[in-house]
Amino acid sequence: MNAIAAQDRVESCDPFPYAGPAALQPAVAAALRRVIDPEIAMSIVDVGLVYGVDIDARQARVRVTMTSAACPVVDVIIDDIWHELSRVLPETLAIDVELVWEPPWMPARMSDRAKAVMGW
Amino acid sequence: MDARPHERPRQGRHGLVSAAPAVLAAAAVSLVVAVCGGLLRACPATAPPGLPGWLVAGASSHAALMICGFLGTIVATERAVAVGRAWGWLAPAASALAAALLVAGDAGHGRLALLLAAVAFLGVNVHIVRRQPAMHTALLAIAAGAWLVGDALFQAEAGTPLPWWFGFLVLTVAAERLEMTRLRRRARGTQAQLAAVVGALLAGATGASLPGDAGTIGLALFGAGLVLLSAWLFAHDIATRTISTKGLSRYMAACLLLGYGWLAVSGIGWIGLSFGRPWRDMALHALGLGFIVSMMMAHAPVILPALTRVRLRFGAWFYAPVALLHASLALRLLLGMDDLLLRGVGALLNAVALLVFVATMAGAAVAWRVARIGAAGPEVD
Repeated sequence: MNAIAAQDRVESCDPFPYAGPAALQPAVAAALRRVIDPEIAMSIVDVGLVYGVDIDARQARVRVTMTSAACPVVDVIIDDIWHELSRVLPETLAIDVELVWEPPWMPARMSDRAKAVMGW
Repeated sequence: MDARPHERPRQGRHGLVSAAPAVLAAAAVSLVVAVCGGLLRACPATAPPGLPGWLVAGASSHAALMICGFLGTIVATERAVAVGRAWGWLAPAASALAAALLVAGDAGHGRLALLLAAVAFLGVNVHIVRRQPAMHTALLAIAAGAWLVGDALFQAEAGTPLPWWFGFLVLTVAAERLEMTRLRRRARGTQAQLAAVVGALLAGATGASLPGDAGTIGLALFGAGLVLLSAWLFAHDIATRTISTKGLSRYMAACLLLGYGWLAVSGIGWIGLSFGRPWRDMALHALGLGFIVSMMMAHAPVILPALTRVRLRFGAWFYAPVALLHASLALRLLLGMDDLLLRGVGALLNAVALLVFVATMAGAAVAWRVARIGAAGPEVD
């Protein structure tokens, strides 16, 4: 059996929905926190752009959204996610970053830290 | 997305990022020719005979090359990348072609190509509204409509396209900033206030295209709309918060806030024009350079990597061209208001600021590569 599949799986919702090996969760969260929205100097996790991460024996699937459908930085952010995850995940795992628009991003998705910076 | 083990996808979601360099090269040519033509116009001395055709074209089509050939192509490219569809590239390709035709002196076909670009661009924006129905996407579509009206007036040679072309750029910025206000706790009436400002700008542009009293009132209304938009941006934009951050985020906020100041100055210039004051340079260039180019300098460090996949390393030197641009604009538009020589020197330094900005971006790209070679990974943004 694949070593990754054999690890203890965990499902959680903090700071974003995660289903996969418990051992990888902190590294995945840290990797995604390193992906920054440059204009507001805030991680995509704090802005609430990460809709979920699912890791099984073959692949890591990340679902993200953008605050605007007209955002040209989308490919750069997707590249950054790929790059950061590739540094912390086993090489045998495929990385699939999926851009989704449903449900639409809402300000309520921002973390408390992000809201404090923005004066909420 | 390709999902083979750790094999990085090489292209964008539409596989056409490779089209960007050719389109952006045409935009760059448009910028260079427009700036040279602008300097020729700003020169207080009489132009010598026998000037090259491209320079004459740059002077006669300065606004079309600057607003449509350069900025229109850049904005349309941004939007093509955002929608991730091959047909999205029709608009920037057409405006790039228009720029080439205008530079070559074929104004007739250039105008037609601009019209095609604006129609295609409107289609892209309608697609975005359908993907994400919201006020900011609707405003982007209205901005695209303004470009189309401006291009139609340019094509028909009926009335000035300038308020519509500027309307296209100003409304595009307003839409993008409105979208960012969602990150702040919005005050009551934020959107309604902006809707009123947009109404004033559109009514002003409509009036300004007409002869007689309607034209005079239109100029004043357009100017008032610009002043009110400046006030709205100061009141609601996230830049007043992100100016307290650091690095690139603070740099962007500084460019934005300086730009909002020039937006108000420009509005006063348009109002002055309606009263017959000789403030045309202030009306046009506080807006085009002080506001729009400052927006461009703010966003270029984020947008350039998105369009070209060239990464940049931020540094304090990013502030140099910004400081030069705003200081030279103050020289040109305020101190040079009644002095043609000062105005000409200011215009020349505006062009130098643009050159320094290009050099800064090129240096930042080199600095990023050097930093990557020196470090284990590209942890430099």
